[in-house]
Amino acid sequence: MIAIENLPSDRPRRRRDMVLALCALGALSLASPRLGAQGVLVVRGATVHTAAGAPIANATIVVRDGKIAAVGRDVAIPSGARIYDVAGKVIIPGLLDEHSHIGSKPSDLNDRPMIIGPQHRFIDALDLDDPSWKVAVSGGVTTVTTGPGSGENVSGMAVVIKTFGTDLARRIVLEKGGMKFAMGAKRNDAYPSTTMGVAASLRQYFIKTQEYTAAWKRWDDGDKKGTPPARDLGYEAMSEVLSKKVRARAHVHSATDVMTLLRLKDEFGFDLTLHHSTEAYKVAAEIARRGVSAVVLPLGPRIGVAEDAMSGPAILWKAGVKIAMHTDHPVIDQKWLRLCAALAMRYGLPEDEALKAITINTAQIARVADRVGSIEVGKDADFVVLNGVWYEPGSRVDMVFGDGALIYDRSTEGK
Amino acid sequence: MNRQSESVRVIGATVWLVLACGSPVAAQDRAIAIRGGTVIPVDGAVIPNGTVVMRGGKIIAVGSNVAIPAGAEVVDARGKYVMPGLVDAMTSLGISSSDMNEASDPLAPQLRISESFNPFGDFGSGQAGPLRMKELLSGGVTTMYIAPADAAVIGGQGAVVKTAGPTLASMIVRDPASIDMTLGEPPKKAAAQRQRDPATRMAEVAMLRQMLVRAQEYERNMVATPTLPRDLAMEALGKLLRREIPARLQANSPGDIRTAMNVAREFNFDLIIDGGAAAQVHQAALAERKIPVVLGQVSHPYVSNEEIPDKSEYPPVDEGTAAKLTAAGVKTAIASFSRAFGSLAPAGSAKWLLLDASIATGYGMSETDVLRAVTLVPAEILGVSTRLGSLTTGKDADVIVLDGPPLSIKTWVERVYVAGELVHVRQR
Repeated sequence: MIAIENLPSDRPRRRRDMVLALCALGALSLASPRLGAQGVLVVRGATVHTAAGAPIANATIVVRDGKIAAVGRDVAIPSGARIYDVAGKVIIPGLLDEHSHIGSKPSDLNDRPMIIGPQHRFIDALDLDDPSWKVAVSGGVTTVTTGPGSGENVSGMAVVIKTFGTDLARRIVLEKGGMKFAMGAKRNDAYPSTTMGVAASLRQYFIKTQEYTAAWKRWDDGDKKGTPPARDLGYEAMSEVLSKKVRARAHVHSATDVMTLLRLKDEFGFDLTLHHSTEAYKVAAEIARRGVSAVVLPLGPRIGVAEDAMSGPAILWKAGVKIAMHTDHPVIDQKWLRLCAALAMRYGLPEDEALKAITINTAQIARVADRVGSIEVGKDADFVVLNGVWYEPGSRVDMVFGDGALIYDRSTEGK
Repeated sequence: MNRQSESVRVIGATVWLVLACGSPVAAQDRAIAIRGGTVIPVDGAVIPNGTVVMRGGKIIAVGSNVAIPAGAEVVDARGKYVMPGLVDAMTSLGISSSDMNEASDPLAPQLRISESFNPFGDFGSGQAGPLRMKELLSGGVTTMYIAPADAAVIGGQGAVVKTAGPTLASMIVRDPASIDMTLGEPPKKAAAQRQRDPATRMAEVAMLRQMLVRAQEYERNMVATPTLPRDLAMEALGKLLRREIPARLQANSPGDIRTAMNVAREFNFDLIIDGGAAAQVHQAALAERKIPVVLGQVSHPYVSNEEIPDKSEYPPVDEGTAAKLTAAGVKTAIASFSRAFGSLAPAGSAKWLLLDASIATGYGMSETDVLRAVTLVPAEILGVSTRLGSLTTGKDADVIVLDGPPLSIKTWVERVYVAGELVHVRQR
């Protein structure tokens, strides 16, 4: 990999030797985190899959101040830009994982005694020193929704966050990244211990939230004399789900539980994304009809890997359900998100849809598509350079750019 | 389309023959020639436009100019790839989770995994007739090593079995194939749940050593006094000490691998390292002592039940381990370590063995070496390479036909032959 300071105008490439020599002199400026003279960086020569249209061969990407400034075949190269020549390589958007537990100690994932705990915020347990972040970047994953586990029926608020950088505030893409639900009985020594018990207890909680919201509305609309209603952080958090300010992300495996969630959605009107969605394909039409999206996994440790379930992502897509893939890190190492999409492709999902399922679809589902998920002008400059076809297991991630900076370079990693 | 209907006819014919003769072997008397494919024999150069002929359950010819016997059934493999059936050198498939660990005893060499092996169950055909482990066959796996899981220091005796056959007995290739052992965290965890030893690595090794010393004494005493009462555990370890079978010893951390090598030297038994996530640390010694390594999945080498590695204790994942060990001269197989309940990796199922192994090509391993690491090398490690592991005249006719290059995610196994029987045809 050669990074050179671009010369004014279009000086012939045979002058590169001299340029490199100049570069060596300018090594100090190269080592600085700032980009080119005007914060401009150009990556050119690769086949670019933008996730927003057909692949562009021999394309040029221009990055300015961390954002995509231009992408296409005939793009003028700004003078003074730092140039990466990546002819023959393949570029895809920085990948997004919609379901992950990265940045957490296992003991902090589930507050099991409390079966419904929407007041929990994953960000309060977030570990920015988790070594997994770096590994995720090496696999091309630049944005994740990471959140609490599935040990409770409602386990708390996830966060949509970049996988790189040291400043938490800058890393967060969406702080209220979704309320995690998890279907299925979580304890056998206390209520609810059955599928119907879980449904009833969720329904009861939604109703209490409605009553809580109504009590506060009466207070706000009234003369505000006397004592205001007592605040309850759980109902407050859940009220944002019922007002659709925050979406519901629901861990669900069985088709029965998918139908329960759809019934609850019909009844209470929240925005819903199914997670894991193992048997969702069996009721694909019901899901599509309600505009619910599904986050799917090729397999998990506790799920049989029957061939029909492997075809689930393709079946859901055909039915019109927006799908995204996930690793459930650390269940599957986050760096293999790309392989999850490739497996879905193997089982019938078209190539471009498979790529969308780890990029733009995920961004839309996570409500962050204005910033990430595709290589389009104005979006964050997060993208991945591979040495071959993006979906082949034998291809390697060569470089990862995040917010316009080179955040992973295999040539310097010694692997 | 023609090929499809031909496949259906072949299956139909096989079924008819089985019904008519009451024996599935009749079909094998007719030669089958798989013609025109890219033949990857694994033990030699790739043969473009090659032909593989099988009869009587064996391979009788492989080459580019091979005479096809009169009356042979000819399978057109133009545009296809033909290679030996895959050998998965470590699984616990066909064994229900409740039958994987005899948790009552941390030292149980008398157990035979073949007596927990149940190819009639979830992974079987679900119908009377020849046995077919469909998921494995769909991924081209025709032979596997099965073993108890890793809750005990000595889990029992592993076996080498095929994934299809007319009878259970016909599926068993080598039994016992090994004494299967585990060092490190899993036996400690299992013991802690039962509040018994071993609670430490020291105790694991001390218990193992005491057991091996007992086996030495048993051998000596039985020679002196053959009328002494028999002890099946001691008899099993006797096979290990006489080097009739090797030890398969799961060890992932550098320390556990070193301990395994030390104990093997102390008691002079043949050792195979299973897991071997940190084997690179000892690669020179492993190569010098000719100790093979059966690695876990490239995408997820930590495979012990639902263990997610304690990063302080285990080395970080390195997808280049297989390449580095092979380059250092260590006989290295890539296995799935898959269990009946799936696994932790995206490519964690044995049916995706080839797919997972293909990741290693991105980390410096040649395609040839990757293919060897899931065929001939594991066959050698398992001690069955005179029968299995390559397309070689005289070996079992375990042959797979793929619709594309073996190491692409787009490629599917279309046909699988085990002992010359067509046992799987991909349904589209």
